[in-house]
Amino acid sequence: MFAYIVRRLFIGVILLIVMSLVTFILFFASPVDPARFACGKNCSLAQIEQTRKALGYDDGPLTQWTNFLEGVVVGRDYPDDPELRKNAPELIADCAAPCLGYSRVNQVTVASEIKEAFPVSLSLAILAFIMWIAGGILFGVIAAVTKGTVIDRGIVAFSLVFYAFPTFFIGLFLLKFIAIKWGLVDVPSYVSIGEGGVGTWLSNLFLPALTLALFFMAGYVRMTRAFVLESMSEDYIRTARAKGLKRGRVLYKHTMRAALTPLVTMAGLDFAGLMGGAIITESVFNFNGLGKLVVDANNTYDLPTLIGLVLLLGAFVIIANIIVDVLYAVIDPRVRVG
Amino acid sequence: MVKYRKRLLAATAAIAMAASLAACGGGSDGENPASGSSNEPGAEGTAGGTLYYYIYAPYEHVDPQRTYVGVELTNFRRTIYRSLVAFPISTDAETANTPVPDLATDTGTDADGGKTWSYTIKDGVKWEDGQPITCEDFKYGASRVFATDVITGGPNYLLSYLDVPTDKSTGLPIYTGPYNSTPEGQAAFDKAITCDGNTITYHFNKPWPDFPLAVAGLSMMDPYRQDKDQGAKSNYQMFSNGPYRIEGSTWNKNKGATFVRNENYDASTDSTDIRMALPDQIEFNVGQTTETIYDQLIQDSGDAQYAVTSQRVPPAYYSQIVGDVESRSVLVASPYVDYLVPNFRVLDNPAVREALKVSTNTTAWINAGGGEKAYAPAESIVNPAVVGYQDNPAFSGPQEGDPAAAKQILEDAGVQMPYPLKFTYPSSETADKQAAALKETWDKAGFDVTLDGLGDTYYDVVQQPDKDSSVMWAGWGSDWPSAITVTPPLFDSRPNLTANSDGQDYGAYKSDKFNALVDQAANAATLDEQTAALQEADKVLGEDVAYIPLEIAQFFFLHGSKVTGYTNTPASSMYPDLGPIGVEQ
Repeated sequence: MFAYIVRRLFIGVILLIVMSLVTFILFFASPVDPARFACGKNCSLAQIEQTRKALGYDDGPLTQWTNFLEGVVVGRDYPDDPELRKNAPELIADCAAPCLGYSRVNQVTVASEIKEAFPVSLSLAILAFIMWIAGGILFGVIAAVTKGTVIDRGIVAFSLVFYAFPTFFIGLFLLKFIAIKWGLVDVPSYVSIGEGGVGTWLSNLFLPALTLALFFMAGYVRMTRAFVLESMSEDYIRTARAKGLKRGRVLYKHTMRAALTPLVTMAGLDFAGLMGGAIITESVFNFNGLGKLVVDANNTYDLPTLIGLVLLLGAFVIIANIIVDVLYAVIDPRVRVG
Repeated sequence: MVKYRKRLLAATAAIAMAASLAACGGGSDGENPASGSSNEPGAEGTAGGTLYYYIYAPYEHVDPQRTYVGVELTNFRRTIYRSLVAFPISTDAETANTPVPDLATDTGTDADGGKTWSYTIKDGVKWEDGQPITCEDFKYGASRVFATDVITGGPNYLLSYLDVPTDKSTGLPIYTGPYNSTPEGQAAFDKAITCDGNTITYHFNKPWPDFPLAVAGLSMMDPYRQDKDQGAKSNYQMFSNGPYRIEGSTWNKNKGATFVRNENYDASTDSTDIRMALPDQIEFNVGQTTETIYDQLIQDSGDAQYAVTSQRVPPAYYSQIVGDVESRSVLVASPYVDYLVPNFRVLDNPAVREALKVSTNTTAWINAGGGEKAYAPAESIVNPAVVGYQDNPAFSGPQEGDPAAAKQILEDAGVQMPYPLKFTYPSSETADKQAAALKETWDKAGFDVTLDGLGDTYYDVVQQPDKDSSVMWAGWGSDWPSAITVTPPLFDSRPNLTANSDGQDYGAYKSDKFNALVDQAANAATLDEQTAALQEADKVLGEDVAYIPLEIAQFFFLHGSKVTGYTNTPASSMYPDLGPIGVEQ
């Protein structure tokens, strides 16, 4: 097991390096000139070139990429200008290893940006995850065990409705009616536990988390229902029933265990993806998480931030994959990793 | 002013993009630019309370030397950053376009035919830490403009005006700012801006008759304390000399900031013509979507009762702006003009350009873009809010276009018909509809139109010298209310056209006659002489069909019911003017 995890982690690191290279290549393949964008209007060509140098975009993409990797290992100064360091050290930004870069747009290290945005996305992801897993499995199982009844049909119909609506619609709907029109809750804005306590943190997260949860929950209801029904038709379930086990025990001990395995895979990957930021939900509710950071970095051609976020998202997914694979073995004894 | 930022937002309103950048306005004819609901300030409020200011897009800079967006300039001018002179609070355009003393004792003294300007700084004016504002602070602020490798994105007029020699190897001034300049560069700068006690004198290499307008309209000449400067790292730091200071000293790009009273501000050094500073606190709230902002303003409950916004009412909400809500709305003309630029390399036959102009249906363009609440017709590339505005007689024809007349022009010219025409514009749902509306009339006139809607690459494409576009969309607003910041930067071929780029002269327009008038305006010793030359220059552009005006974007705003003194003025680029605004207690 240990060797398996080490091997997977090693492959993950290689993947991240490749991802960073691809992101650099894609960024510089774009026809948009980030130096001209940053320079502003009325800039002469000389000023644009000067801005390019100031932004560190005057070197070739490969050189910039190797500099980036070097920064990850040993750290970097921004700008890396010995003369400026001598004349005006206060203008130099230190970026300690592992340096993911320095955003010239926001004038902070990418690590600081991520550090500020990550708790927002993580909070949102955790609460949404709890909501959708609890609701998805509960309603999915209820639908399965009441198959063909009004309850089953009602649950399936509702889940289809929520699955069909785009997240931005649900978000705007909840915001407009629950918060603004009916005033049932305040217009949400992220408040950390440290700033406002658990109650305020939860109440502000409720609507955005519900927005995400409704969408995911709808899918999980459908899948849970299908997996549970599939398990219930297995021979060993029939055997368990024939042995006289109680219905609840058969459902909980035998059916759910088999049905949960594929759900764990999906839940792990979905959660990892959400930790990387729920772009639409964060934008609708003005939560400054990783998703909104991605949008802003894209709008302002902020390459260092984009690279840092791509790597972070990649790392989440890779780690989540490894955890899911390990969990497989725990949940389902038939599965062995290695 | 061309929009460089947030081009992804163009997906929602490409044409409206131009409306988020800078400048000031006001008509020389004294007309009130407001054209919809009353824009006169409401009943003046009393001091106290909290005003909320809802902003959607993050501000990219709050550093005075880097700020270049009209709404940001005006918000900070009224609250945090004072300068030598400022535009007063007034909806009367002539009054609004006349700077009044702010940190200086008067509006400046010029000499040497407008090549030298001097100001004396008032006694008793202080920074937020109680230290006096000195001449050296103004000089240091101006020096930062030259650090174009550190202080990026801001206006750079000073580089071409201030009497500092140019380094021929780089094409940039030999002075490179306060951080890493050579002794020669520093000496040249020290000679160009001099301090004598509290009097600062600027020496320019050419006349700058509208210098006070530039100082009032932009913040590039604002004072800056050297000991507070951390170069680019100061981008979101604010150090106040106005009636408010920022709580915590740093503007949070994604959240905004709270402005509170500056204890070291002395109202006796200021004028209520510029700022009344009524609210005790102003909370800038960044990032809510326009829809969320308007849901709250229409609902008019909670904090939204005390709120204003720089976001325009989205067209989908027009139907909700009725009854009591309508009384809180205002429709005013923006300082921006959208226009078409024929490509002179492709449309090299003057008759074809004339036919294009004659067949352009601006009414259809406006209707497709949202109608009168979104746009008003334009008859010049210069906004009516600019000093010396005149309708351009070349564009006095029917707004609906005259395809029959245009067809006749093409036939008389003997060109092959249908004449191929590629229209390049920044694509969005609205812009695509507008482009299709133009195409219809152009096609009837005998053109074979290809629509070329582009995404993020728009500005990069239209600046390429080898582009094959026949006509392009563009938008612009003056940096200060003078046409010197409109037609010369857009059509003077000399600084614009190079081997690698067409600069802002997308149409590659070259005219000795026009350039001579630009030189005449640039060397004019007085504002009147400058204005006359620029009016003549605009006529030349019209005769050559160097551009075809489309419309003036309209600003449609709503504010909370407990906001007092609400108004949009030329000084605030027709955004809410924080000078007189207060809140009910």
